[in-house]
Amino acid sequence: MPITLIVGGGMAGRAAALTLRRVGYQGEIILVGDETTPPYDRPPLSKSVIVGKADLDKVIKPALATYAEDGIDLRLGVAVTSADAAAKTATLSDGSEVAWDALVIATGCAPREVPIPGLDKPGVFRITRLDEALAIQEVLSSGPKRLAVIGGGFIGMEAAAAAVAHGHTATVLEAAPEPMARPLGLAVAERVLRWATDRGVEVRAGVGVDEVLGDDRASGVRLADGDIIDADLVICAIGQVPRLELARLLGCEEAAGGIKVDTGMHTSVDGVYAVGDIAAFPSKWADEDRIRVEHAGVAIGHGQTAAEQIATGEGMFEDLPTFWSDQGDITLNMVGVPRPEDEIVWRGDQAIPACTAFYLRDGKLRAAMSVGDMKTLRGVRKLFAAGVSPTAEQLADPDADLAALAAG
Amino acid sequence: MAQVSIGKLSDFPDGTPTFAEADGTRLCIVRVGDKVHAICDDCPHAEASLSEGDFLADDLAVECPLHGSAFNLESGDPDAPPATEAVQVFAVTVDGDDVRVEI
Ligand SMILES: Cc1cc2nc3c(=O)[nH]c(=O)nc-3n(C[C@H](O)[C@H](O)[C@H](O)COP(=O)(O)OP(=O)(O)OC[C@H]3O[C@@H](n4cnc5c(N)ncnc54)[C@H](O)[C@@H]3O)c2cc1C
Ligand code: FES
Repeated sequence: MPITLIVGGGMAGRAAALTLRRVGYQGEIILVGDETTPPYDRPPLSKSVIVGKADLDKVIKPALATYAEDGIDLRLGVAVTSADAAAKTATLSDGSEVAWDALVIATGCAPREVPIPGLDKPGVFRITRLDEALAIQEVLSSGPKRLAVIGGGFIGMEAAAAAVAHGHTATVLEAAPEPMARPLGLAVAERVLRWATDRGVEVRAGVGVDEVLGDDRASGVRLADGDIIDADLVICAIGQVPRLELARLLGCEEAAGGIKVDTGMHTSVDGVYAVGDIAAFPSKWADEDRIRVEHAGVAIGHGQTAAEQIATGEGMFEDLPTFWSDQGDITLNMVGVPRPEDEIVWRGDQAIPACTAFYLRDGKLRAAMSVGDMKTLRGVRKLFAAGVSPTAEQLADPDADLAALAAG
Repeated sequence: MAQVSIGKLSDFPDGTPTFAEADGTRLCIVRVGDKVHAICDDCPHAEASLSEGDFLADDLAVECPLHGSAFNLESGDPDAPPATEAVQVFAVTVDGDDVRVEI
């Protein structure tokens, strides 16, 4: 019987395991994850879990029994420490050895190491794993707190907005001049930032953090300009780096800061697949030869595609990349692959907000980000599916029906 | 399984997702002409109430107000990410003016 070994019980690894059975794979499935929690959804961590608003049964899913029913050998709290492409074997941290015919690498990202003194103090939290989010929840559940959030990316902004919406105060500290400018572009990032500050999130941008203060527990941070931000807890959301060690051991080719794959998620090494945050994949929706994105929908799609390839030899990942970010009552929905230098055209009311920012490159629609404007977003999806790009004037005109334009 | 009455046909405006509760089960009800559809109100993706979303007549689907996955009222399947799981679909009988859901 063939054996598929999946390394990493995150969103892509879980999707691969569950899809294998769904498409009729008869072989053995071993899913190895170094976390002790069964596979769960990561996006709720910074949105609802930290403020105690999440139903954990909906976050940790499917139920543990599903793996047994599907004949998936789920090994938790165990890491794959090495693998051999020629012998087709892998070694686990519990000392065992596993033979495989197909190897799916879904190792995700590790938090970025930053040289800020004091990050090891109690009261400083990361927010990449469920246990960390639950530890934050425990602190926040005992009454209003002051948060210092290091890092103004989506995850830091979400955590700050969620905390403020639940009666805490939060200051986001971002070293770059404008939070979220890289993924959203400056114009859109500025608008998103204003929605956050209008709702009470404090933001200090363009200044680094020099040190986490506090004797036996974090009591705040000192900024590079000497200012001190007092805090009851510090959340470090400074970004993450893909975990490529295992794929490198196997000799997989790299691209775009990740592991190079084709549309079927095959790496350059026979029988080895890379999926999720680590995969650098070709996309007809992007200009680059390969892109790497850290988004849940893409990770799930990758896992499903690798499973189909293993089971049937068919299946390609060609989905339009999508992304969402819930920041308190503001929900951003992005479709497509934007670039920071794209031209921006707005439609709708930015004050409510019920609006969409369209990203154009060489006059062509490449991505769109909507807030409170589902109808436009749906129209954009139809435009992409039809391969139709309206003019900037049409995009800006709220009376121009995008779905109708897509239908031609 | 039990048939639970959730109200009269006229309680459910045509083509407008409406919240209802039957024996503690939260439902999103959509009447389309004289046919009534019932799905679970909780979006399988995250924390959203589907009855606050729009009805998409062309797709016979309800669109989640938060991230826009649209769930078909007959199969429960989402059309696009971020949702990946189907929402539960409940059988509905309309008896005269009485709308009953099988729970
Ligand atoms: C707080 C937070 C909020 C997010 N919000 C959103 C959002 O709103 N929308 C969105 O689209 N995306 C969001 N994301 C991103 C999304 O969650 C990731 O893109 C997705 O989880 C990637 O899936 P993955 O399987 O590649 O990696 P992961 O889900 O990170 O899983 C990798 C797993 O592999 C394990 N592992 C690594 N190495 C080994 C090894 N050698 N042996 C065994 N196990 C190993 C890791 O411990 C981990 O459990 C968010 C991420 C975080 C952290
Ligand atoms: S909560 Fe419904 S699609 Fe996300």
